Amino acid sequence: MDSYIQGIFMLAGINLMAVLGLSLLTGFTGLFSFGHAGFMAIGAYTAAIMTSMLKLPFIVGIVAAGFTAAIFAYLIGRMTLKLKGDYFCIATLGFGEAIRLILDNFQGLGGSRGWPGVPAHTSMLNIFIAVVIGVLFLSNLVRSRHGRNLIAVREEELAAQIAGINVVRYKTLALVVSAIYAGVAGAFLAHYMTFIQPKMFSLIKSTELTIIVIFGGLGSISGSVLGAVVLTFLPELLRAVDKWRLVAYGAAVILIMISRPRGLMGGMELTPNGIKKIIAERKAKKAAAQRSEP
Amino acid sequence: MSQENENILEVQGLTKRFGGLAAVSEVDFKVRKGGIIGLIGPNGAGKTTIFNLVTGVYKVSEGTVNFEGKSITDLEPYSIADMGVTRTFQNIRLFKNLSVFDNVFTACHLSATYSLPEAILRLPRFRREEKLLKEKAQGLLEIVGLQDRADVVASNLPYGLQRRLEIVRALALDPRLLLLDEPAAGMNPDETEQLMRLIADVRDRFKLSVLVIEHHMDLVMRLCERIVVLNFGIKLAEGSPDDIRGDARVVEAYLGAPAPAGGK
Amino acid sequence: MTQFFQQVVNGLSIGSVYALMAVGYSLVYSIMNFSNFAHGGVIMLGAYFGFYAMTLLKLPFLASFAVAALGTALLAVAIERIAYRPLRMRKAPFLYFIISAMGASIFLENIVIATIGPTFRTYPEVFARTPLSLWGLSIGRLDLIMFGVSALCLSGLVAFIELTRTGKAIRAASYNIKAAALMGVNTDRVVTTVFALGGLLAGVAGVFFGMKYTVYPQIGVITLKSFIAAVFGGLGSLPGAVLGSVILGTLETFVAGYLSSQFRDLIAFVILIGVLVFKPSGIMGKPTEDKA
Repeated sequence: MDSYIQGIFMLAGINLMAVLGLSLLTGFTGLFSFGHAGFMAIGAYTAAIMTSMLKLPFIVGIVAAGFTAAIFAYLIGRMTLKLKGDYFCIATLGFGEAIRLILDNFQGLGGSRGWPGVPAHTSMLNIFIAVVIGVLFLSNLVRSRHGRNLIAVREEELAAQIAGINVVRYKTLALVVSAIYAGVAGAFLAHYMTFIQPKMFSLIKSTELTIIVIFGGLGSISGSVLGAVVLTFLPELLRAVDKWRLVAYGAAVILIMISRPRGLMGGMELTPNGIKKIIAERKAKKAAAQRSEP
Repeated sequence: MSQENENILEVQGLTKRFGGLAAVSEVDFKVRKGGIIGLIGPNGAGKTTIFNLVTGVYKVSEGTVNFEGKSITDLEPYSIADMGVTRTFQNIRLFKNLSVFDNVFTACHLSATYSLPEAILRLPRFRREEKLLKEKAQGLLEIVGLQDRADVVASNLPYGLQRRLEIVRALALDPRLLLLDEPAAGMNPDETEQLMRLIADVRDRFKLSVLVIEHHMDLVMRLCERIVVLNFGIKLAEGSPDDIRGDARVVEAYLGAPAPAGGK
Repeated sequence: MTQFFQQVVNGLSIGSVYALMAVGYSLVYSIMNFSNFAHGGVIMLGAYFGFYAMTLLKLPFLASFAVAALGTALLAVAIERIAYRPLRMRKAPFLYFIISAMGASIFLENIVIATIGPTFRTYPEVFARTPLSLWGLSIGRLDLIMFGVSALCLSGLVAFIELTRTGKAIRAASYNIKAAALMGVNTDRVVTTVFALGGLLAGVAGVFFGMKYTVYPQIGVITLKSFIAAVFGGLGSLPGAVLGSVILGTLETFVAGYLSSQFRDLIAFVILIGVLVFKPSGIMGKPTEDKA
């Protein structure tokens, strides 16, 4: 495969990693984050410290990246998830921007000029393995009582409480897990680009990740996979009209919300069972319609 | 002492103030184990507020709520549910985009103990318990006659069945006390009749105690063994249906008004 | 001591512009209970409207102001019509409003980048750069006017809300929109009015912001600080939004003056974290219990 295409594939894999986590948070749990690029930044810098400064193996960098991001997520969760939804959005926004500003001013890690010379550890193989494990873990998580509890929180918070679900705990769980994914994605990104700079993890990056989740469909893992691959390749193919890309994204996001809020694959999965389920739901709906007619 | 233990729920001096306004003040009542108690009163009398206080949705301003002899006054809603108290809502709150089956399946979660790693790695305990949960959810749907609609998305169910689904979702928690907030609202007489039979039936089958808010007076009078009447957040009267029917204050405050024909 | 008062004056002036922006966030929040993140984009376009009114149309200062404010008022109302009203009609969950707002904000910022371009533009000089000397303090002419006009606009807003019929409806709706609707308040009109008011002030704020600094497509990101000020003051409370803005503006100038201008932008986030930890309802917000 030519190295240009390979590069895009790796980038798609890295985006997908971050998107998977965000999919759990936004798509399955119904929480909206403006700061996931911040978790990616934490992952990227942590991993770079491990491999570039301490000369430790890549895998140590990846684990440390996920772990550090998880700690930050836990702290933010503890502070804000007891409050109403807005405050969480605001906190993630503040967090993402604060992380970037701190890194900008922290000369020990290169400051705003960035940090070159991170070893090029990311490969087709290791990113592929990571993505497969990521998808597997996530789909096993959502198809368990823990995952169903997250979905219940998204669907109807009060009813979830009354059904014995500790809403704050499950929201924190979703945030921590999604931060781990973002942190790991950051580690891969750092060792793919071999150069990291705070600017790479701005608010725009956070919103782009969210856009991918929305395109793919809230509450669908296969949708997120599809979204990440398509929305990484599409801009590469459409380089000529690149400046219109975000204009179109913005308009499309509004359009999706007002017409088909659950996105392309909302709540559905492209698996044999998922397709069966879609068909069963269609039939049941039809049957219900017929029953209520006479 | 033994008299005390017969009561599954004891509410004492229950008061809730919003700002300076008392929505509920100094309300006492008890629910006998296995009993069906009705909570009636005009709109705004504080009935739903009492439900919100008992289930922990609102924080109690003053007073105590004891369930099975233990205080649940300051607990979070989820731990109150965990202990065995659950409810339905006046304006049905289902997991709207999920199927009928998944609504019940989700609520069965307290019957399983497997951890997150066990779920992610698909370990044996996960498989075993997950199978049991599925059977339990299936069984519950059969009891209320929703098994052939298991795949229907909850929001596509007819109104009456949505209420039924909300009740069965509550039953999935294996509660010992069930709070029903206007279960017959918006139902026709036929559906109301079926609902009454369902409530009586699940009470016996699951050995439940029930506290019910209802505007359909005939339903309350026939179903409940005791009735608590509220007006302006204060307990006006309490007694058997016959006592209540004959109570002049109640008649004046509530029954005297033109009886609401079909809930609202 | 002179330096101290000098910083206070500078702080009040930038704080008053923050206040113009912050009340836009708070007004919408008080009625619709969500944070309208598209507001930053509206402010940004206000800066552009004013800029082009002056440079392309060669309009005088006051006329440019009017053009900018009317333009942003229309824009804010249009955003509500397109991006929020369909959701409101459907009673969509809070999440969808936030996402739609994000879409609108991305759209606005990038359509400017795609058409006008990402370059920084400088307003023509309207007021002489030489500061006035008052009581030993040197006060920028622009700063003085910013403060005066902002105070005037905010008083106008308060008068509108307190004295007019529509203002009464807004107050009723902010207390309980469903009840207000039942009492015969036309909620669509209230919402439109609220967006128009927020938009008007956003235009004024945008022009000032552009005159004080420069005009560029990412102004919206900076305006997030005014949003933080609104949170600090208590989301949904107008006096709170003003108070929070003034405090934020003053703190920022102090930090820039006494410590380092590098830390100026961090102050907002430090405040944000402090508020979230210690008093999430803000200075003047009231904690609410969710209705069951």
